[in-house]
Amino acid sequence: MIHVQYLTKTYEDLSRGPFIAVDKVSFKVGSGEIFGLLGPNGAGKTTVLRILSTVLSPTSGIATVAGFDVARNPADVRHHIGFVSNNTAIYDRMTAWEMVEYFGRLHGMPPQKLKQRLEDLFGQLRMNEFRDIPGAKMSTGMKQKVSIARAMVHDPPVLIFDEATLGLDVLVARNLLSVIRSLRESGKCLIFSTHIMSEVEKLCDQIAIMHRGRILDTGTLKELRDKHEQPDFEELFFGLLSNHEQQETSDWNAEYELDTAIETVGVEK
Amino acid sequence: MSLSPAPKVRASECSGKPRLQAIWLIYIREMRDQLRDRRTLFTIAILPILLYPLVGTLLLQIAQFTRQHETSVCLVGTDHLQDGPPLLEGESFVESLADDKARLKVLQYRWNDIASSKDVAEETSSWVRDGTFDIVVVFPPEFASPNQPANSDTAAVQLLYNVGSDRSMVARDRVESILGNWRGGWIESRLVESGIDVEKINPFRLNDIDIAPERTRETAFWSKLLPFIMLVWAMTGAFYPAIDLVAGEKERGTLETLLCSPALRSEIVWGKLGAVTSFSMFTAILNAGSMLVTSSFVFKQIGVGGGSIGPPPLTPMLWLLVALIPLATLFSATALAVAAMAKSSKEGQYYLMPLMMITLPLVLLPMLPGTTLSAGTSLIPVTGMFLLVRALVEGQYYFALLHLPLVIGVTSGCLWLAVTWARRQFDNESVLFGGGEQWELNMWVRHLWRDRQTAASPAQAYACGAIILMALFFGKLAVTQAPQGLAGISKLVLTPQIGMILAPTLLMATMLTTSLRSSLRIRMPHWTTLPLAVLLGVTLHPMYVMLAEWISFTYPISEQAVAAMKPFTDQISAAPWLTILFLMALVPALCEELAFRGFIFGGLVRERGRLRAVIITALMFGISHGVLQQSIAATIMGLLLGWIALRTESVLPGILIHFTNNALSVSMERIADSQWEGAVMFVTATEAGPAYQPMWIVTSAGIALTCILYFSTLPPKINESETDYLDIDGNLSDSTTTLATA
Repeated sequence: MIHVQYLTKTYEDLSRGPFIAVDKVSFKVGSGEIFGLLGPNGAGKTTVLRILSTVLSPTSGIATVAGFDVARNPADVRHHIGFVSNNTAIYDRMTAWEMVEYFGRLHGMPPQKLKQRLEDLFGQLRMNEFRDIPGAKMSTGMKQKVSIARAMVHDPPVLIFDEATLGLDVLVARNLLSVIRSLRESGKCLIFSTHIMSEVEKLCDQIAIMHRGRILDTGTLKELRDKHEQPDFEELFFGLLSNHEQQETSDWNAEYELDTAIETVGVEK
Repeated sequence: MSLSPAPKVRASECSGKPRLQAIWLIYIREMRDQLRDRRTLFTIAILPILLYPLVGTLLLQIAQFTRQHETSVCLVGTDHLQDGPPLLEGESFVESLADDKARLKVLQYRWNDIASSKDVAEETSSWVRDGTFDIVVVFPPEFASPNQPANSDTAAVQLLYNVGSDRSMVARDRVESILGNWRGGWIESRLVESGIDVEKINPFRLNDIDIAPERTRETAFWSKLLPFIMLVWAMTGAFYPAIDLVAGEKERGTLETLLCSPALRSEIVWGKLGAVTSFSMFTAILNAGSMLVTSSFVFKQIGVGGGSIGPPPLTPMLWLLVALIPLATLFSATALAVAAMAKSSKEGQYYLMPLMMITLPLVLLPMLPGTTLSAGTSLIPVTGMFLLVRALVEGQYYFALLHLPLVIGVTSGCLWLAVTWARRQFDNESVLFGGGEQWELNMWVRHLWRDRQTAASPAQAYACGAIILMALFFGKLAVTQAPQGLAGISKLVLTPQIGMILAPTLLMATMLTTSLRSSLRIRMPHWTTLPLAVLLGVTLHPMYVMLAEWISFTYPISEQAVAAMKPFTDQISAAPWLTILFLMALVPALCEELAFRGFIFGGLVRERGRLRAVIITALMFGISHGVLQQSIAATIMGLLLGWIALRTESVLPGILIHFTNNALSVSMERIADSQWEGAVMFVTATEAGPAYQPMWIVTSAGIALTCILYFSTLPPKINESETDYLDIDGNLSDSTTTLATA
């Protein structure tokens, strides 16, 4: 369903110069799988997910979603995904019903079928009690439910959750995780980014640990534990991050020494 | 919890072409969203409906106050009114002197009533100051003295009023009118006493007859005012929704949600553009309608224009609605593109205010006296359409039809540019997600130095152009005297060319790029392009001369300007030819081409900016010439030079064309006057100056066209310095995108 290979995204940053937000990232996700992108803030998770949702274009590398290339067939990709972001962005002056209906119509759903789908979704996500409340008056939990309904209205085969539990209370977050599990059971392909380790442990079939734009390691929870001989996932995570930072520092030192050596040789010549 | 599957939709609908249904959906949503926003509704609908009636009511009240309230007048020294025609009749003014006696309450004092116990000046001033009387008229004792000259200061009648009081000012107008009439009576009686027939001092009468057709009379006032009101409000009406629909959505995070939906960027732009245009039009129509109704009523009540200004005929005014559609779309597309640069609504307002300041003169220009529809004004965006509508409203259909193609062409061109700009903004990641960083000077300077590339960045190119234009503008202000002699001409040419055009370019190319040569696009093109550039310069010159003549005909140069330039042109004619070639051809060709088609073009052509580079450099090149007529010709020539710079990837052919063109311009007179027999085949001397032979004009046009066709066969290239942003697939990516943090 999702195939990412050597995906790279570079930005021009005033303070740091050309900045590599995503550095040769590769992974695959199949149907009925939840793929967890775990990493601290600034790891590059959102950038990867924005590229997969075609909002950003990759600097280099390949990413396909449901068989469509994100750079060459962005409209087809968007038709096959549902994206739930962390800021629960919904329109303040639209009701829950209007908003989900609007996105259903943008997906080209016939009116009768769309109405039926909306009735089902609002029932399943228990949204009927606030279906006519405008976005500005909704609680965070309500907004997140509307976001999920909006992403699912066209029943996409791929769903992308970008730190979707951020800022939610325990009950709402638990409910959301339950929805994600049920989506896996119905054969959806899911990508779930977070920096909360317990969510990844409970939910994800495959885990990729990201740091400074790179995937440090990937595999199932068991595979990672076995490989790094660390039963405590939190220790495993911090160990990987710490090693990566040390390695980057030593790489930088080596590069600096090499440059100095080249300059010295050049002067001698 | 289990979720039921949804009906499948056809992915084949996801083609690259915008779908009308999706555009309509987005349009309807945006309209509904804006209509639910109380602030938008207030600005666009409620304000105009309330504003004009409120202002109208206020005007009416002021007018009624001015007309109807009673003025208290105090006359001091009435005992001095012995001579001359009577001013007073009992307790009031003589009926024939005052328009409306009922509104005047007069109190009279003899001089000694006050002067015996108090200082008259002080006392009467205090009456006006404390509001006892609206006005006091003092007739001093000298007024009645037969030995006193009538126009002496001491004998002058004094009017004491208070400029801070509206009542007092109204009183002054009324009393002045009465005293004016009284003085007229005095003059008449004195003339009669001197034996002069009063009729004889009026040798003739003046009867003014307005021959304007009835429709022109009816629409004269409204055809100027209404388009202005509508255009100003169309601008204002576009700005607020544009900010809310783009910058506001960015701020609220909903734009990203929409970008993840199957809607194409072009569908989003068209949908939003439709909504902004609708609001722009509604605002304009509501304001114009409200103003029309209110002012028609108010004008009638207070009798403005002698009561001749009534409501305008409605049918001709429909032309305004027709013209409003393209202009509202133009304002909306521009506002949408500008608003896309802002991160928040607040920032959007900062960006749109300067845009309004730039657009406002185009709306104000047609209001200036003497501005009429002509070939010249038709070419000015917005102004041309405004004047065309005025001609249509006044019923000058044939005249309007004559200029219609030009106006439609210019408006369509501007519309296309604005919509393309808006669409490009929505395709730009840096626009949609950028701007998260705080700007710091030291960080920016470090970035400029650390991230230098072989060619300028677009921002550096714009900065270079702005510096050159500003330097030239202030440099021109410093020139106050005509140049004297060759040294003066040299100074006048070399200072702007080298000091204000070349110096900033070289400085920026040295400081901000790693390669002076690459940044100035000094590269050897294919060898054939160099002789062809010279040939093109020679053969294009007759058409350039014709173009310059047409521009001078369309936008005539004032006689004062011609007279002011004459000493300069005379000195050029008298100066040694090679020196003039150096000063007027070689120096401008080198300096201007290195700046405009070199550094600036090299920066703008990056990031798929080919069209942008050609158009912007041509405009900058045109503006740098300072004089309108020269600027238009230079802009058109700049388009060709930019296109050739793009095709040849070098600045050298442009330098050759520019040099040849300028050299011929300053040499034509010498060629016509030369002893060379072959010269008559090309140039002939006429009374108006040297002119090209018609046969040579036709032949040269054919050769020039062939040269241009040859240049068009060269593939447009991107230089190595412009490949900094190329990714492995050869696609230009956006490394200027600022950090969108993960």
